[in-house]
Amino acid sequence: MDRRHFLRWIGKGILGTSGYWLCARGVAWGKSAFEYALEGQNLIAAKRFAEARDVLKEAVRLDPKSDWAHGLLGRAHHGLGQKAEAVAAFREAVRINPADTYSRMMIEIITQKPIRRLKKPVRPLTPLEKKARAEEEAMLSQLTPEGGLAYQVKRVVIDPGHGGFDSGAVGPTGLKEKDVTLDLAQSVKQKISEKGRIKCFLTRTGDYYIPLSDRTVIANQYQADLFVSIHINANENRKAHGCETYYCSEKASSKEAARVAAFENAVLKYDEPFKKRPGYINIEEILFNFERRLYWEESGKFARTFQNRFEQALPFKSRGVHSANFFVLRRAKMPSILLETGFISNHDEEAALKKASIRDEIVAAVIRGLLNGRG
Amino acid sequence: MDVDDLIFQGADYHYKGELDKAIAKFQAAVRIEPQNEYAHNQLGILYAKKERFDAAFREFQKVAQIDGHNTYALLWLGILYLKQGNLNQGFEKFRRIIEIDPNNADAYYFLGAIYNFRHNTAKAIKYLKKARDADSDESDTHYRLAQAFHNLDMTANALLEYQRTLALKPSHTKAINGIGWLYYNRGERDAAIAEWKKTLKMNPRDRDAIFNLAKAYNDFAWEAMKRNKPKEAISYWKKTLGVDPKNKAAVHYLKKYKA
Repeated sequence: MDRRHFLRWIGKGILGTSGYWLCARGVAWGKSAFEYALEGQNLIAAKRFAEARDVLKEAVRLDPKSDWAHGLLGRAHHGLGQKAEAVAAFREAVRINPADTYSRMMIEIITQKPIRRLKKPVRPLTPLEKKARAEEEAMLSQLTPEGGLAYQVKRVVIDPGHGGFDSGAVGPTGLKEKDVTLDLAQSVKQKISEKGRIKCFLTRTGDYYIPLSDRTVIANQYQADLFVSIHINANENRKAHGCETYYCSEKASSKEAARVAAFENAVLKYDEPFKKRPGYINIEEILFNFERRLYWEESGKFARTFQNRFEQALPFKSRGVHSANFFVLRRAKMPSILLETGFISNHDEEAALKKASIRDEIVAAVIRGLLNGRG
Repeated sequence: MDVDDLIFQGADYHYKGELDKAIAKFQAAVRIEPQNEYAHNQLGILYAKKERFDAAFREFQKVAQIDGHNTYALLWLGILYLKQGNLNQGFEKFRRIIEIDPNNADAYYFLGAIYNFRHNTAKAIKYLKKARDADSDESDTHYRLAQAFHNLDMTANALLEYQRTLALKPSHTKAINGIGWLYYNRGERDAAIAEWKKTLKMNPRDRDAIFNLAKAYNDFAWEAMKRNKPKEAISYWKKTLGVDPKNKAAVHYLKKYKA
């Protein structure tokens, strides 16, 4: 029997459990963390894992910064089949020394399959946590997590195209695109708000100019579920007429779509949010690309839905759905579409766009698109 | 050579970034022990890092065939399905993992992220909270949870989760930008500006912070114009150009009102 075991035995007899711990911790005799760790290592080699665990716990208590002791403690727990505790100890070892290959490997091996969860210590709530909990209790009682993977729209940002010094296209008799788009957007907001199912925000509420970048910023500001940019088309050929819907995609669906996108896009170059790092898998980049692809697919569905509504409701020819890489749509972190509700350059359609009844029909079609908004 | 030695050497090469050498070691390991799940999983990760995603997929599938409860392999199969754009298959894998392991933070995280992408916020919150409670050390879990709360205007919870994100990863600029919007939307504009400036200090090319600041300064300029304070408006448009020198609105209105 060595000195420690002897003293533990004595301590048990005299002091009961607390005496056992006092002695086991070597408080009185100042045994070093290194000595405990070394002893633990020998016990592991002898497959005496329970004893090893106890002395290694002592080692890490005395020297919490020893990756070696934490790694050994992980091995002792692992030897006892205590996977969760083993992972916790190996994690601590890796946290202290990221180059600890063995501990890293053990974490990966053990966590390939389910392990028990360790209980976390409970601590008092901070004032913000208390406020958050009260808010959550109030809010989440009203929300029942339901619905499957169908896209949900509860907030929409409507973007009246152009504004201020940028009048957009101007009709043969002087009707300005910026005025029509603002009127349409404001009516949509008013009517959709009356229905109460969808919160609606506008990118501008008056005759002023907003750069393209600001428009998607506003959509992101309100965490919108859908961004709808309203425009009126124009062409040098005054015979061109009809309504069409665009959505964002990497490749333009036609030369004409590419031309429209090039015209609408700012001179800003696109930024790439993730830089390539060879030999590294960026999960968030995978999710980002997946999210963007989902939004583009969803934008396509919304575009088809809106165009169907226009076909059914408007006295304009349907020019179909197109896709292109629009800056105004690309930076939106949600599905986004761009409506071209007629050609202001066409005499008949300019005249139609002046009529309140036609504008009402456009607004009604947009609202139906929003409320039923799925392809 | 012993399989354990090969695996240790492979792991060591892997951590040191010597991917080809690591692959060679793990390939040797699975030749000796074809049922070794860890070696196949490591090969899967290594192939994915080399952008050989089909080969990676095959390795993880092998593991799933050896043991359908190897949640690590199932997780990576789910991630690779997402990479392919296959929502339903990815979703199924993550759902299967939580059937096997109701404490799997990663699977909850991906399920929460998927619901966030579908803007099904209540469900996103449900799963992301489980991810957070199972493992609170992942900054992105807190960030996505913050986004979900933000989407529901649950601002205290959103702020708390953004702050938790930053406690784990102070350079998480998206969280800083999110806090900026929380402040901005409740009228604390100086605080919002300070947040976006913080982002720009970390990354002067952060487009979100640049555009957020430009938008805010343009808003302030217009409000000043409404109050008939053109000098103040001009000062804000100048600030806009300070962060976004090509901002068309600021360029135009500065020219117009300075004249």
